[in-house]
Amino acid sequence: MATHGIARTNRSRTEEQRQQDLDKIQKYRDLDDQIQSHVKQSNYSDPALFQLTTKILRLNPEYYTIWNVRRRCLISGLLSKRSAGLWRSKASPSTSRSVTTKPSCAASSPSPSAATPADPATSPSPKKDGESGTTPEQGEENTDPKEKEENDEKADIAADTSIVQAELAFTIPLLIEFPKCYWIWGYRSFLLSLCDAMLPAGAARDFWVAELALDSKMLTKDRRNFHAWSYRRFIVSALESTAKPDGDDGSGDGSTATTKSMTESEFAYTYSMIKVDLSNFSAWHNRSKLALRLLDERGADDASRKKFLEEELELVREGLNVGPEDQSLWYYHQFLMDHITAVGAHAGAGEDKETKDLIAPNLSLADRREFVDREVTEIKDLLEDYDDVKLIYEALLEYAMAYRAMGVSDGDTANQDEMMAWLAKLRELDPLRRGRWDDLEKSLKAR
Amino acid sequence: MAQLQNLPDELQLATEAHVKYIQSLDSRKDEYEYWLTEHLRLNGVYWGLTALHLLKKPEALPRDATIDFVLSCQHENGGFGAAPGHDAHMLYTVSAVQILALIDAFDELEKRGKGKAAVGKFIADLQNRETGTFAGDEWGEEDTRFLYGAFNALSLMGMLDLVDVDKAVDHIKACANFDGGYGLTPGAESHSGQIFTCLAALSIVGRMESVEADKLGKWLSERQLPNGGLNGRPEKQEDVCYSWWVLSSLAMINRTHWIDRNALFGFILRCQDTEKGGISDRPGNMVDVWHTLFGLTGLSLLGYPGLDEIDPVYCLPKSTTQRILGSKE
Repeated sequence: MATHGIARTNRSRTEEQRQQDLDKIQKYRDLDDQIQSHVKQSNYSDPALFQLTTKILRLNPEYYTIWNVRRRCLISGLLSKRSAGLWRSKASPSTSRSVTTKPSCAASSPSPSAATPADPATSPSPKKDGESGTTPEQGEENTDPKEKEENDEKADIAADTSIVQAELAFTIPLLIEFPKCYWIWGYRSFLLSLCDAMLPAGAARDFWVAELALDSKMLTKDRRNFHAWSYRRFIVSALESTAKPDGDDGSGDGSTATTKSMTESEFAYTYSMIKVDLSNFSAWHNRSKLALRLLDERGADDASRKKFLEEELELVREGLNVGPEDQSLWYYHQFLMDHITAVGAHAGAGEDKETKDLIAPNLSLADRREFVDREVTEIKDLLEDYDDVKLIYEALLEYAMAYRAMGVSDGDTANQDEMMAWLAKLRELDPLRRGRWDDLEKSLKAR
Repeated sequence: MAQLQNLPDELQLATEAHVKYIQSLDSRKDEYEYWLTEHLRLNGVYWGLTALHLLKKPEALPRDATIDFVLSCQHENGGFGAAPGHDAHMLYTVSAVQILALIDAFDELEKRGKGKAAVGKFIADLQNRETGTFAGDEWGEEDTRFLYGAFNALSLMGMLDLVDVDKAVDHIKACANFDGGYGLTPGAESHSGQIFTCLAALSIVGRMESVEADKLGKWLSERQLPNGGLNGRPEKQEDVCYSWWVLSSLAMINRTHWIDRNALFGFILRCQDTEKGGISDRPGNMVDVWHTLFGLTGLSLLGYPGLDEIDPVYCLPKSTTQRILGSKE
């Protein structure tokens, strides 16, 4: 019902095509009817229902109700009572909802508390090594009921783990074919919430690590997929909240051995994406979101913050030298410039925009002027090769106005005549937005 | 608007063809696509019906059958699914409320449905009381689409007091980005669709004070491409549906004049199937009811002659929102 990018064709069909459609419809509706009749009787523990959902989801992964049926199949029969019970108790969110089926709002919330490790006391590890010692120390060979219970539990965990693995595998081809289908992404995050509930922390974490790898793969297929970017932030925040701070995690991914944070590696990831494609605004955006956290976590002093700004500006400028018509680059440039010109200008823009939210909060006015002057000079240099690129004039005007707003009364980086000349260029090169240029002219003249 | 009357035939709005196209949508049961899109049926009714109202043919779909269908999608808990037997979800519950608003049939909820109170409770129970945002259903996926949907439906029913508006507004603020736009969740990239949901939610509760209108207006106006169409994010392709997300957002911050009206008219009208009706994402592609609606809402917002006026906040005709909410002026 919402088709994208499919060429319009003659909508009439031959009788044969119509018959083929009718056959397909018959099969599809038959599957649907069978599922509906199971659902009416709440037959969720019947493996036949689960099989039917597999069939219909392969035909139509947008059919959200069926993903829900599949979830109910898992927690009302296919998974052990132990796992289902643990999931239900984990999934009850902090919200005070009164929905009868417990919502699992925590499962897809990117908040750090969303994915807390399973309680090790109730989930003995099925792994032979590398896990912290939560396995009860009972070596007796006899069939003491307690030991039997523990063995049953191990068997349950092993069986449930393979079910979840199979589920994750089932959705991969669907995700690759339908990378923008909200429901598939949502179902995978449900599966991960199951892992968190039923597995010991280390084992659950392995699933999240694998999920991050899958997400990277999805982002190489479509670098701008905002589902995959959102999901990535969700995975990272879960991984950060389950990493052991002192590095005894033993899972072997030693890169985060001494810290929970993945800010450095994610920041590096944005660079690797930008290197492949300068126009990837999604990567630039994520970089902007990570920058402050990165500096805070590095404990960066004023000098290194200033250096950071210089290096980031240089990175964008390299891009601008080859692609000055690329909006992605200019937005990131604007982000950096906002941090330079913001002090003072932000007074009154809301009490929460304090200097602590700036990349280099202690830059002197002289430093800031120097930064702006240098950028403006560089941008003007671009005009030598690209005098017909309107984004250059837009940036020049923008920064000239920001410079004024910094409270520098004399020695403006541009005078009024120069600004009016840039505006005239904008009118000439970009007539689509002339209404905006009219408003801009009014505000320039009002000064 | 004089120059529009002089446009060539293919750039005139094919009103009759569009009406027929929308009327034909429910008679396509011998097409596989009809069944594959059943999970969108209730949305589809809302899209089609709103389009017909804009085309000033509100009677083109039978009122009684529409109400019957809407109510057949309702669950005991008050929520609505996409079609009978489909699970209840915010997205369909909002469509149900919008349809009933459109045809002035809220009273049917009391007479034959589960009552307005149950609908309100279903929606309000989906609010995450800690963060203020909303989930789509009991399985918990959260994003700003659901928050907007909740505000839209609850305000139409006069039940906004069921939710924590302040917390929700704080959540929207947390979704704001340096470029003035808003994302799906805090941390997510600005996207025109999400900008619409956040601005409209803020508009509904009269809390636009945190919006950086100039910055956002610049970003939104840069969505217009040389062919007149609008894209949803930087460096992406144009698509008719952004005629709505971008333009309604510009309208909410009083800056629709920051893009070229005639260029957008031309782009939308070139996406029409003038013969068989309907509007597609780009010229020459397959039409669908979703793009048909959002093409028409775009035209309406820009004042295309002969179309009913659309409310940029609710995506319903202004006559509908004025009847229910009164004039805000």
